[in-house]
Amino acid sequence: MNRRDWLNSFGMGFGGLAVAEMLGRSAAAEQAAAAGAGGVLGGFHHPPKAKRVISLFQSGGPSQLDLYDPKPLLGRRDGEQLPDSVRGGQRLTGMSGNQSSIPLAASPYAFTQHGDSGAWLSELLPHTAKVADHLCFIRTMHTESINHGPGVTFMQSGGQIPGRPSIGAWLDYGLGNAHDDLPSFVVLITKNKGGQPLMSHLWGAGFLPTKHQAVRFRSGADPVLNVNNPPGVSMENRRRLLDGLRELHEHEFAAMPDAEITSRIANYEMAFRMQASVPEVTDFSDEPQGVLDMYGPAARDPGTFAANCLLARRLAERGVRFIQLFHQDWDHHGGLKQGITREAKETDQPAAALVQDLAQRGMLDDTLVVWGGEFGRTNYCQGLYRPGQDFGRDHHPRCFTIWMAGGGVKPGTTYGETCDYGYNIVKDGVHVHDFHATMLHLLGIDHERLTYKFQGRRYRLTDVHGTVVKGILA
Amino acid sequence: MHCSLLALRWCGIFAIVTSVDAGPAARADVPPSSPSHSFDRDVRPILSDNCFGCHGPDGGSRQAGLRLDLRAAAIAELESGSWAVVPGLIAESALIGRVESDDPDLVMPPPEAKIGRLSAEQVETLKRWIAEGATYEPHWTFVPPARPDAADGAAAVDRAVAEKLAQRGLALQPEADRRTLIRRASFDITGLPPTPAEVEAFVADPSPEAYDSLLDRLLASPRYGERMAADWMDLARYSDSYGFQQDRPRPDMWPWRDWVIRSFNENLPWDQFTLWQVAGDLLPGATDEQVLATAFNRLHQQENEGGSIEEEYRIAYVNDRTTTFGTAFLGLTLECCRCHDHKFDPLSQKDFYALSAFFDDIDEAGLYSFFTESVPTPNIRLLDGPATAALARADEAADEAAAEAARADAVARAAVADWIAGRAAVPAAFDAVGGTIPGELVRHDFDDRRADGTFADELGSTAAATAPEENMLVGDSRGGSPCRAIRLTGDHPVTTSVGNVRRSQPFTVAAWIKPATRHDRAVVFHRSRAWTDAGSRGYELLVDGGHLRWSLIHFWPGDAVSVRCAEPLPVGDWTHVAVSSDGSGRAAGLKIFVNGHDAATDVVRDSLTREITGGGGDTITIGERFRDHGFKHGLVDDFRVFGRALSPLEVQDLCAPGAIAAALAEKRDVEALGDYFAAAFADEPAAKRAALEAARRSRDDLAERPPEIMVMRELPQPKTAYVLERGDYDKRGEPLEPDTPAALPPFPADQPRNRLGLARWLIDPEHPLLARVTVNRVWQSLFGIGLVQSPEDLGSQSARPEYPEVLDLLAWRFAHGTADGGIAWDMKRLMKTIMRSSTYRQRSMADAKTMADDPLNVWLARGPRHRLPAEMIRDGALAATGLLVEKVGGPPVKTYDMPDSFKPEKPDTAAGLYRRSLYTFWRRTGPAPVLESFDVPTRMVCVARRDTTNTPLHALVLLNGPQFVEAGRVLAERLLVEHDGRAEPALDRAFELLTSRPPDDEEKRIIRRMHAGQLDWYRDRPDEAAKFLTVGETQPQAAISAVEVAAAAGVVNALMNYDGAVVKR
Repeated sequence: MNRRDWLNSFGMGFGGLAVAEMLGRSAAAEQAAAAGAGGVLGGFHHPPKAKRVISLFQSGGPSQLDLYDPKPLLGRRDGEQLPDSVRGGQRLTGMSGNQSSIPLAASPYAFTQHGDSGAWLSELLPHTAKVADHLCFIRTMHTESINHGPGVTFMQSGGQIPGRPSIGAWLDYGLGNAHDDLPSFVVLITKNKGGQPLMSHLWGAGFLPTKHQAVRFRSGADPVLNVNNPPGVSMENRRRLLDGLRELHEHEFAAMPDAEITSRIANYEMAFRMQASVPEVTDFSDEPQGVLDMYGPAARDPGTFAANCLLARRLAERGVRFIQLFHQDWDHHGGLKQGITREAKETDQPAAALVQDLAQRGMLDDTLVVWGGEFGRTNYCQGLYRPGQDFGRDHHPRCFTIWMAGGGVKPGTTYGETCDYGYNIVKDGVHVHDFHATMLHLLGIDHERLTYKFQGRRYRLTDVHGTVVKGILA
Repeated sequence: MHCSLLALRWCGIFAIVTSVDAGPAARADVPPSSPSHSFDRDVRPILSDNCFGCHGPDGGSRQAGLRLDLRAAAIAELESGSWAVVPGLIAESALIGRVESDDPDLVMPPPEAKIGRLSAEQVETLKRWIAEGATYEPHWTFVPPARPDAADGAAAVDRAVAEKLAQRGLALQPEADRRTLIRRASFDITGLPPTPAEVEAFVADPSPEAYDSLLDRLLASPRYGERMAADWMDLARYSDSYGFQQDRPRPDMWPWRDWVIRSFNENLPWDQFTLWQVAGDLLPGATDEQVLATAFNRLHQQENEGGSIEEEYRIAYVNDRTTTFGTAFLGLTLECCRCHDHKFDPLSQKDFYALSAFFDDIDEAGLYSFFTESVPTPNIRLLDGPATAALARADEAADEAAAEAARADAVARAAVADWIAGRAAVPAAFDAVGGTIPGELVRHDFDDRRADGTFADELGSTAAATAPEENMLVGDSRGGSPCRAIRLTGDHPVTTSVGNVRRSQPFTVAAWIKPATRHDRAVVFHRSRAWTDAGSRGYELLVDGGHLRWSLIHFWPGDAVSVRCAEPLPVGDWTHVAVSSDGSGRAAGLKIFVNGHDAATDVVRDSLTREITGGGGDTITIGERFRDHGFKHGLVDDFRVFGRALSPLEVQDLCAPGAIAAALAEKRDVEALGDYFAAAFADEPAAKRAALEAARRSRDDLAERPPEIMVMRELPQPKTAYVLERGDYDKRGEPLEPDTPAALPPFPADQPRNRLGLARWLIDPEHPLLARVTVNRVWQSLFGIGLVQSPEDLGSQSARPEYPEVLDLLAWRFAHGTADGGIAWDMKRLMKTIMRSSTYRQRSMADAKTMADDPLNVWLARGPRHRLPAEMIRDGALAATGLLVEKVGGPPVKTYDMPDSFKPEKPDTAAGLYRRSLYTFWRRTGPAPVLESFDVPTRMVCVARRDTTNTPLHALVLLNGPQFVEAGRVLAERLLVEHDGRAEPALDRAFELLTSRPPDDEEKRIIRRMHAGQLDWYRDRPDEAAKFLTVGETQPQAAISAVEVAAAAGVVNALMNYDGAVVKR
C-alpha cells in the first residue's frame, strides 16, 4: 500500500468540506510554493538554478592539505620551521600559539589528477575521484574564526556568536515551505561520532520565528519528536480521535469564527500526514539493491553518513528544500593519519554516490550539493613532530577547500589558488559571506534583499558583506 | 535634584534646536507652531527607516556630510552648497527633490540600498513637516512620562482605549463571561488553570468585589512568583548550563532562580528588585541575598573550548552583561554600538563602552575550566545556618592552632637564644643532627640520564624524573665551576613523581634556573593539569613579564594566592630560586627566595578559598604546560622538593652549601638559628605544626562542601575600559570612564561611579525608560503583545505604539506610586491595575472585520487571546490531571522528554517528572524538547519576547508525548473511579478540568461519540488497551478494566489538544 492509498484508506473518516479542502493540496498552492511564493519574499528575485540544497557539513575542519590541495613544497621542507614571512602575524589558536617550535609537515598522501577536468585529489578519496568532473573545488575559502564553536556557527549562520538564523531558516522564512507533509528544512547528523560537539542553534531560527528552525530527523524509531503513536494506539484509531477533535473545533469555530481555530484544525491534519510521510521517507525498503550498493554497506545502517546521504536524496525528491547533514570528527590536532583515513573512508563513497545518484535521476541540475567544514588545517605540525610518525595539524582559517556540485555551479572546476606553502590565498579568495551570497544567488535570492528587521536593524545572512562568486557559476 | 537636571538637559536640546537658525532657514515663512504632524510620531520613523543608515547618528557611515537626526545638522548648508531641509520651503529642500527624483543616480534612498522608495504618503508627510517648520523633538521614550491626572489607573486605561476605538467606530467588547475571566486571570497570575470549585465559586459570587477579591487571592498565591519568574528567566538568560560549544551543565545557579520567585511573591519593590540584581553586592552591608541577586550578571554563556583566547571571551561576557542591561532595563538595543555608532538611535560606540565599563571590574576568567569543576570567579558560597557555624568554628580552631604553633616556635627560639647567650645547654636535637635539612622529598641534580632515559632521585628513592630526549643534558658553568643541567625546549616536559600537596600542607621547591631570554610568560614548574583549560588549578612558578611569580590556585584569577618578585629575574645568568608555602593559604604565607634571600614581593592575589589539588597533573612538571608557554631554552639544575616550609637559613644553605654549618660554628645570627631550630628540629613546634595542619585540613574539607554560585564582586582597583575598535577585543582605542549614554539622563553627581551608582541612576523615578520598559513587558505577558510591540527596543526604530498614553500613565504610577497611598514600584499593584481594566476583561472575540483588520490586537478592540506559553501548557495539563507536584524551588528536574533532547539526559523518577516546568533542567544547546517545540528561547542571550507559533509538531507532542499520554490516562482513571466507572460524567468532568467550563450539549454529543468509538475499538483489542496504559511511571489501577481506561484516556488525550485547553481566551 503506498502512502496515498494508505491515507485514502482513512479518507472515509474525514468529514466536513473545509477539511477536505485543506487536505487536498491545490495545484495552485503547490505552484505558488514552488515559485518561492510561500515565504516573505513572495517569489524569487531571479530565476533559481538550484531548487534545493544538500549540505554535507564536515565538522571539525578537514585538512585540505591531505585531501584537495597538494603542496609539493611541504614535502621538500618537511620539518623546517614555518617562515614568519609566510605566517605574517596570523593569530594562532591557544592550542599551538604558545608552541616554541612550528615545523612544516608534508602530507603523507599521494595526489593524482582525475577526470577530464584533471582535478587533483589525494589517495584518500578514490570515490570522489570518479565524480570529479561533476565537482567545483573552491580552494580559497577563508573565514574569521579560529575555533570550532564560532567557526561552525559562522558557516551556518553568517555570524560567530550564536543567535542568528541558520541558512535553512533564512530560506524557510524567505521562500516558505513547498510541501505540507514534510518540513522544508531538515537536519541529519551522523550517529555515534566523537569530535567537537554540535549545537542545536546551528540549525536554529535565531531571531526569526522558531517555526523556521530545522526539524532534526533522528536515526531511531522516532525520527521526529513524538511522530509515532504511543503503544496501543494505531493510526486508524488515532484517525477516529482526530475526527472527534476536529468536530469539537468546528463546533467552536461556528460560535467563534477565529482563524486560529482553522489553523489548529489544519495543523492536526498535517501532523497526521507527517505521521505517515516521515516513516515513509525514512524507510529504504523500496530502494533497489544497486542504489544501496552505490552508497556502500553502511547505507543500510540508519544514522550513518551513508544512510543520511541516501535519506537526503529521498527528502530532496519529496521537495525538502534544505537538507543539512553534519558529520563530525575531522578535528585532527594529533593522530591525523589515523583520523583522516577513518573519516575519508566513512564519507568518500556516500558523498560521491549522492552526486552520482542525483545525476542519474536528472536531479543534479537543480540540486546544489556542498561538501566542506568550518576551516582548514595548518601546514605545520601541532605539538611534537617526528617525521614519519603520526602527527597533528591545528586550525587554519586563512584557506581551506570545499566542493560544490550541481545547482548551477560550473562542473569540473578548480577555483582559487593558494600559495606554495598552502598557508595563504594567492588568487580568488572566497569569504564565508561570499559563499553564502553565492548559495542564495543560485537559489534565486539576492542576498542583500533577504532581510529581517530585529532589534532596530535589518539583518541578513551575509551581514553587511558578501559578493556572489561569478567565477563558479555555470 | 535629579528632576531638575533632567529638565535642564531637555531644555538644552531644545535650546540647540531653536537657536541654530542659519542660511535660508531664516527665511522660513511658516512659523513652527502647533504643527499638524508630530515629528516623533510621523516623521522620525520615515527618516529612521530610510535615511539614518547613511545620514544618522553613526559618523562612520555618514554620506555627503548630511545628518538628519539633529535639526541643526539637517538645516545646515551641505558640502555641496545646497540644503537638505529648509524649514518652511519645500522647493528649496533638497531632501524632497531627492526622494521624489526618478533619476537612479539622484533618488533617495539609492537603489543599491535595496530598501525601496518612499511611498507617496510618506513624501507628503515630509513635505508637510517641512512646510510647517521642520520642528524636531526628542524621541518620546527619552522624555520622562508626565504625571497623569487620573486617580484610577484601570479607568484611565479604559478611557484612553475607548476614546481611540471610538475614532475607529469601535468600542470595547463586553466583559468576558466569568468562567473565561477566571481562567484568563488564573493563568496570567499563577500560570495554572483554576479548579472547577474555584470557577463555580467565582461564577456564584454576586458581590461587586468578586473580581477584585479573585485577583487578590491569585496574587497572594506562591504560584504567582513561579509564573512571573519564568518570564524573568528568559530575560536573565537563566540556564543550568554554561552554553557555547561544550555547554557543560552548571548545576548550582538555581538559588538565584529561587530568589527571583521569592522576590515576586514577597512583592519586593521593582526598584529594589532591579538594584539588587545590578549592584546588590555594592550595597553597604550587603546581605547574602543581595549578593546572590547579582548572579543576574553572570548568567550569560561561558566558553571553555580548547585553544580559545581568554580575553576575547572575557570581553564577550562584559558585552553580554551590558547588552542585557540595555534590553532588560532600558529597552534599548545596544548590540550595534559595539562596532560602530548606532545608526538609528543617538547612542555612540563610546556610549556603549563607557556603559560596559560598569560591568568590567570583576576578577573573572574568559574561559571556564575544562579539566576541573571549579566554579568561575567571583562567586559566593551558599551556606545554611549550621554550615556557617561549623565553618566559623573550624576557622577559630585553625586560628587557635596557629597561635599555639607560634607560641611553641617562640619557646624554641628562646632556647636557641639562651644557648647562644650561654644561659643554657645546646638543644639536644642540634647536637645530634644540626647542619642537615630534614624533610626533603626528592632531589634531581640532572647530571646523568640513565639508560632508560630517566633521572634518579639523588636521595636514593625509586622516584624518578622523566623527560623526552629533546630536553638535553648540557654542560655549563655556575659561579666559575663547571656544572651539568637540563636544557628545556619549552614544548617538552620534565615530569617528577612528587608534589600533590593540599593548601594546608607546608612545602618548598628549590632549583637553580637560567633563563635564555626575558620571558613575557614562561612556566618554570607547576603542579596542575593545564593553564586556562584547568583554571590553572594547583600551584605554579612562572616568569611573568620578566618577574618570578609564585601562586597557589583553585581557579585563576579569582580564587588564588599569588606573589610576584619586585625585581626582574636576571636573564642569561644562573639564579637560585626557592619558593615555599607555609600552609596558611594566604599571600603572606608564600615566599620567594632569590639566591638565598627572601625576595621582596608584591601581592598579586590573596583570595584563595578552596582546595588546590585535583584536576589531574598530580606531580610537578618542569618547563612545559598544556597550551601554555614553556621555559623555552632555559636551564634547570639541582631541583629539590621539601615537605616543609624551609627557614631562611636552610634556603641559604641550598644556595651556598655550608651556610648552616658556618652559622652554627659562629653562633652569631640568633634569629636565623632560632628559626632554623624551630622549623627543623624542635619537637614541640613540630607537634603544634602537625596539629595546625590538621585543623586547617578540617577547615578546608568543610569549605569544599557548600555549593558556589557566580556573582558580582568588584576588584579593589577597577580595570580600565577602552573603546574597542570594530568591537575587536584586541583593538583598544581610547580609555574610558564608566558613564551612562549621553542621550539619557546624566549620571548623578552624588553617586559613586560604579554599578551601585548606575543602579540608582536607573531606578530614579524620573528615569524615562525603566518603568516604561517594565510596564510594557507586563502588558505583553497579559495581552500577548506589548503596547510597544518590540519590548527589547523602545528606541527610535520601535514602532510608534497605538497607546503611548496608556504606557505612560501606567509607567508614571508604577514609578511614583499613587495619590491614594499606593507605593512606588509595586508589581502586584501594576498587575492588578491592568487586570482590573475593562480593556483586559473584555471578550477576546470581535467582529470578523475587526479580527481581520487587526490580527495582532494592537487596537485592543478585544480582550487577549493567544496560545498559552510552553510552561502553562504542560503545567496546566499536569494540574488538571492532579499529577502536578507543587513545591517551590530547589534543584532543576529532568522531564520525560530529556532523552530526546539534543543533549540527552536521563529523566528523573517520581516527583521530578511532575514539577512545574520552570524547574526543568535547562541546557542551552538542548532545552527540553517539549518546551522547545512550544517556542521557549534557548536563553543563549537575553530575550524579551517569545514567539507564539502553531505548528503540526505541537500536535505530535500533545498527542504522543509520554507526559501528556500519561496525564490523560491518569486523569481518565481517576475520574472513572470518582464516577463509579461511568464514563459520561467522567469525561464531562475531564472537559471541565481542562477548559474550566462544562461541555455544552453538542460537545457532550461529540465526546460521547468519540468515547463510543474508542470503547468499540479497545473492546476488540484488549491487548492494545493494556499497552496504552503502560506509558508513564504511574502504575495503572487494577480496579478498572484496561479497556475502559484506555477508551476514556484516548478521549481525554484528545481533549488536551482541544483549543479550549491550550489557548487563553
